[in-house]
Amino acid sequence: MVELTRVYHVSAGHRLASPALSEAANAALYGPCARPHGHNYYVEVTVAGRPDPVTGMAVDLAALDAAVEGAVISRVDHRTLEAVPELAGVITTGEGLARAFWRLLAPAVPAGALRRVGVVETAKNRFEYEGGAR
Amino acid sequence: MSAERARSTRRFAFAAGHRYWVEAWPAAENERVFGRLAVPHGHNYALDVTVEGPIDPRTGMVIDLSELKRLVEEAVVARFDHADLNADPLFRGRVPTTENVAVAVWELLAPKLGAERLVQVRVFEDPTLWVDYRGGAS
Repeated sequence: MVELTRVYHVSAGHRLASPALSEAANAALYGPCARPHGHNYYVEVTVAGRPDPVTGMAVDLAALDAAVEGAVISRVDHRTLEAVPELAGVITTGEGLARAFWRLLAPAVPAGALRRVGVVETAKNRFEYEGGAR
Repeated sequence: MSAERARSTRRFAFAAGHRYWVEAWPAAENERVFGRLAVPHGHNYALDVTVEGPIDPRTGMVIDLSELKRLVEEAVVARFDHADLNADPLFRGRVPTTENVAVAVWELLAPKLGAERLVQVRVFEDPTLWVDYRGGAS
C-alpha cells in the first residue's frame, strides 16, 4: 500500500463567525479573523492504494484531479466561503474546512481510498483531517 | 537501559527521466491510458528517507546521518540521478510511476538499513505530488 498526496491551490475569502454568537462576541473570540479577509489556501489530498501490477498506478491522477476539481476546487476557488452552498453551516476555520472538504471528496474517490485532507491556510497554519471519530 | 526512540529524516535529490509505458501494449494504447505521461520527460525528484530507532545514549544519535547519506547516495542517488528510469532493470516490467519509484527506493534501502530501522520513504515528483511507502503489503 502506498499513500499518494497531491497539492491543489485555492484562493478564497472568508471570515470566522459563529452563528451562535453575537457580532461583539465573535469579534472578541476570533479577533482579526472575524473580519472578512482571504487566503491562498493549499489543499493536500492523500489517497491510498496498491500500485496496479500493469500500469504501476495506485491512483489515476487524472481521475483524482477531476474528482477534487469537481467536488472541492470549482466550488470554493475565488469565492467567499460563507456563500458556498456546500459549506452552509461550516465555520470556515482550517480544521472546519478540512472536515468539510473530506465530506465533499470522500464520495467522489474510490471507496475507502481517502486517507487525509490537509488545509494549509498560511505558511504558519496547517490543519489535517483523517475522517471519522478518533 | 532502554533508550528512547526517535525518527530522523534526511532529504536527497535526483533528476531523472521517465515515461509511463507498458512494453506489452501498442503505442496507441499507452497514449490512450497515460496521455501526456507517455511522452519521455523528467523531474527534479526529492526523496525523504526516515529511519527510526533508539537514541544512542553515547552519541545522542538515532543514526549517523553521514552514514545514512553515504548509504542512500550509493544505493539510490548514484543510480537514479541523471538516469533514464525506464532503462533501469528495477523497472523492467514495472512502470516508473511515483508509486513504483517509492517502492523501488524502499527495496534498495531496506536491505542496507534494515527494515526495522527504515520506516518511510517519501518520493516527491515535484512539490505538489508525493508518495509515501512504509513497506509491506498492507
